[in-house]
Amino acid sequence: MKKLIALVLAVAMVLSLAACGGNKDNTTAAPQPGTTTEAPKPADTTPAPGTASPLAGTYQIKVWAPEAAVELTKKQINDFNSSNADGIKFEATVEAVSEADAGTNVITDVDAAGDLYFFAQDQFARLVLAGGLAQLGQGAGTIVKETNDAGAVAAASVGEDLYAYPLTADNGYFMYYDKSAVDAAHLGSLEDLIADCEASNKYFAMELENSAWYAISFFFGAGCVSEWTTDNDGKFIAVNDDINSDKGLIGAKGLQKLVTSKSHIESSDVGEFSKGAAIVVSGPWAYNDAKNILGDNLGAAELPSFTVDGQSYHMGNFSGYKLLGVKPTTDAARSASLHKLAQYLTSEAGQLERFQAIAWGPANKAAQDNAEVKANPSLAALAAQAPYSKVQGNIPGTWWDIGKVIATDIKDAADEAGLKGALESYNTKIQNVLKIDTTGFILVGAWNDWKNDDEAYRMEAKDGAFMFTLEVPQSDYMGGRIVVPGDWGTDRGCLIVTEGVDLLDQVGDPNNGDNNIVFKEAGTYVITYNEAANTITIVKK
Amino acid sequence: MKLTDLEYLKLPKWRRALIKIAQFFISIPKAFLNLFVKIGQFFKKAGLAIGREIKDIVLTFKNGDWKTRISYVIMGFGNITRGQILRGLLFLLFEGVFLFFMFKPTGGLYWLSMLPSLGKEGPGKAYDPVYDTYVTAYHDNSFQILLYGVLTIFFIIAFIFTWRLNVKQNKLAQQILDSGKKLKSGKDDLRSMVDDNFHKTLLALPLTGIVVFTVMPIVFMILVAFTNYDGTHDGYSNALFTWVGLDNFNTMLGIGSGTKVYAATFGEILLWTLVWAFFATFTNYFLGMLVAMMINKKGIQFKKFWRTVLVMTIAIPQFISLLYVSKMFAQNGMVNQFLQSIGVLKGLDYIHFLDEATPARISVILINIWIGIPYLMLIATGILMNIPQDLYESAKIDGASGWKQYTKITLPYMLFITGPYLLTSFIGNMNNFNVIYLLTGGGPTNSAASTAAGSAGYTDLLITWLFKITTGAESQYYFASVIGILVFMIVAAISLIVYNLMPSVKNEEDFQ
Repeated sequence: MKKLIALVLAVAMVLSLAACGGNKDNTTAAPQPGTTTEAPKPADTTPAPGTASPLAGTYQIKVWAPEAAVELTKKQINDFNSSNADGIKFEATVEAVSEADAGTNVITDVDAAGDLYFFAQDQFARLVLAGGLAQLGQGAGTIVKETNDAGAVAAASVGEDLYAYPLTADNGYFMYYDKSAVDAAHLGSLEDLIADCEASNKYFAMELENSAWYAISFFFGAGCVSEWTTDNDGKFIAVNDDINSDKGLIGAKGLQKLVTSKSHIESSDVGEFSKGAAIVVSGPWAYNDAKNILGDNLGAAELPSFTVDGQSYHMGNFSGYKLLGVKPTTDAARSASLHKLAQYLTSEAGQLERFQAIAWGPANKAAQDNAEVKANPSLAALAAQAPYSKVQGNIPGTWWDIGKVIATDIKDAADEAGLKGALESYNTKIQNVLKIDTTGFILVGAWNDWKNDDEAYRMEAKDGAFMFTLEVPQSDYMGGRIVVPGDWGTDRGCLIVTEGVDLLDQVGDPNNGDNNIVFKEAGTYVITYNEAANTITIVKK
Repeated sequence: MKLTDLEYLKLPKWRRALIKIAQFFISIPKAFLNLFVKIGQFFKKAGLAIGREIKDIVLTFKNGDWKTRISYVIMGFGNITRGQILRGLLFLLFEGVFLFFMFKPTGGLYWLSMLPSLGKEGPGKAYDPVYDTYVTAYHDNSFQILLYGVLTIFFIIAFIFTWRLNVKQNKLAQQILDSGKKLKSGKDDLRSMVDDNFHKTLLALPLTGIVVFTVMPIVFMILVAFTNYDGTHDGYSNALFTWVGLDNFNTMLGIGSGTKVYAATFGEILLWTLVWAFFATFTNYFLGMLVAMMINKKGIQFKKFWRTVLVMTIAIPQFISLLYVSKMFAQNGMVNQFLQSIGVLKGLDYIHFLDEATPARISVILINIWIGIPYLMLIATGILMNIPQDLYESAKIDGASGWKQYTKITLPYMLFITGPYLLTSFIGNMNNFNVIYLLTGGGPTNSAASTAAGSAGYTDLLITWLFKITTGAESQYYFASVIGILVFMIVAAISLIVYNLMPSVKNEEDFQ
């Protein structure tokens, strides 16, 4: 009997181990390489009788939508099932995944992600790089470009190509205020508002130290720009950012006024209204909650102006978008059907329906002209803010980490030199996003036994470019690449050879993304690498 | 400096203390040296053992009959021909499964052959003009190659072990038959599994479980540290990942000419982690003991009530109470608003509990005391009641003060029993994700660390930084793995050294 008990205990122990290891096991559920490239199984696409469309069939799909939109999305998919002309039937499970986390969840495991998913624009660049978004076909692309506002199209594009469907154009922020606590005459001036709040012991809530998205407001107000450029793969190749300038200093001074005020709290939650806040900077998504707390006392207005050296600057903002992404698939019919559904969900009717049900501001131009949309107070405030807003383009994920620190640095800065230091440190960091090291580059390859820290092959800086005269000895593989010293990174753009392509046997290895250049024959070459443009030229001596 | 006991006892107290401290530090290099010597000895022993095994295998082949020799290729052959059908079939089955796994398409050989490169062909995208859509073609999967590669290696090791067992059995069977005895039948084998080999039956399942669910994932995770597996190289849907050698360790430790921001961040966080673990452990320990002693003291009324009040904090799930406390100490939280309303703070003045580096660090340590004391109080209560009262009585008769009684009786007794607990709680605190993440989320932000993946804050421990790295902008899993390995090395070193210095280990008989 004792032995039996011991045996049972042993089994129980194993089971508990198995339970702990359960997560790990999931990751092995990904399809085998051998099977993934196979053609779609016929069972997936049983043709519906009486239709000629090659798309007709029943598809099992998973959709990730934010909690608030789950029910509506279910209804819209059902509507699509009954109304589409192709005979496409979707058996959809709609799961609640916040649009703010969708990107992270998709990147963690692309296989397990929803076939369609709602996500906020700041994750767009990461998702494209992570292979989580399927490019739109030409037909779909044209429709999206024609029907949505220009900013929305830019937000969903990488280079010329579209990778997502715009859902909303309301991902911007403005000011909610308590009419009973704020003097309406003071709404235009940040200084007056801060003074009012301090005098009446009320709070002014705006996220500055936690979120670059809000903190950038002051710099846009002062006329700064911060724009990133990607190549067609979604890789960041250039940045145009003048925050480290006199204009940036003006913005920093404005930001300092708010962030050092005792009335300032770090929050964008309208729930602060019930905890003594008079002003909360937030977006249209918070309208209903704010209304519930303040009722008729709720006001919504564009952001105020701040005054530096006698001149006043209207605070800017990011105008951002929510997007609908389609996960890449290997099956053309399934992919085309999913894109059809995505088009339907983001059409004028779909966006209007979403506005009516959950108050999401449309990105579709026709829907934006709808009278009801125009009458919504929070969208009206956003529209009033629009002339001062900048379209949120593609931004590298690390920028959000770098950008939010700027407010902390400004808060701690004691004088103007401190402010300048904060801006400079910001600038150094964003430059480092593009180039990991400023000490130059090493030509690594067959000629130096692939030593990536070989000082003898360090490229010298000349006239804004890096140059090297390279002798290539005869060998089986006369190839190599440009790297940062001590690194193996393959992102040094050797794929863009502007001159001397004919001297090369191969540019890059399409299989594993190695940007190697392989010479046809031995000899002496002068190699020039332009870091800013990310191009190289090769001349034979 | 060598002192005899008498010389030592003659010295004044402070010099004795100094000598003790000096001895501790002198013993550290020795402890490390011992560790390395032990590791060296282990490898020497292992090498010798392998040599012996090989010699035995060769000798068995030389001295074996034809049945034994065939068994070298067809496992279990010897067992079957000598009448041990069950054993033989099991060996044969294992060999069959192994060979099938190795040679089937995308089987063991495929995984092994791909392991050095972690995949050759990444995913591709193609335009399908018929459907006007883009389709993706997936090819090699680095993640699976790594995972199944590790699995294959484990399987091969298991096979070698079983093959060796098979050879041994043949040798044994030959010897038994030569000496004229009978071999065990299948029935005997089955019976022995619940009799003299019962321990093996019992341990088989747990052992398999540990290997499959603990050891293999750990090996896999360790290997990730030597790759460039991150959000943009996920090995399947965007690009393959590959081996990068020690690059990640070099970046994290600032070796070589690359960026130094990771090394600086790692150093700063490690220092804070150690400071935090020290204070979180010892403040709880001594204050918890103090509370327990106060409640235990004779003449204290409502003992049960006090204990219940303290234990209440355990009854509420920690993550709820921590989130609540973090709200309480916020800028416009309950505490600040209360102080404002009673006029201690004027207007909107507030105390920076959680939003400035040093105050935040002090705050988390203090809040942790509030959470930790009840646990310690419970443990200490039990132990304190166990200390024989006659020790205290005789101490009193000898005229010992309360403090003397504490340092000479209570503390040594407590340290003796809770020594291992102290060590585990120190290590637990080094990895105390909950308290830090729920209270401050690692904040306030550290501007210097914002370009080190995941932007570490001033109260981030290594473990919360690791979390931020995996879920942050670039999902750098390899750095998470590197940090995991480094934390393990630090924890292992501390544990080994401290464990051997502990009174519970050194003077095992003191309190028995």
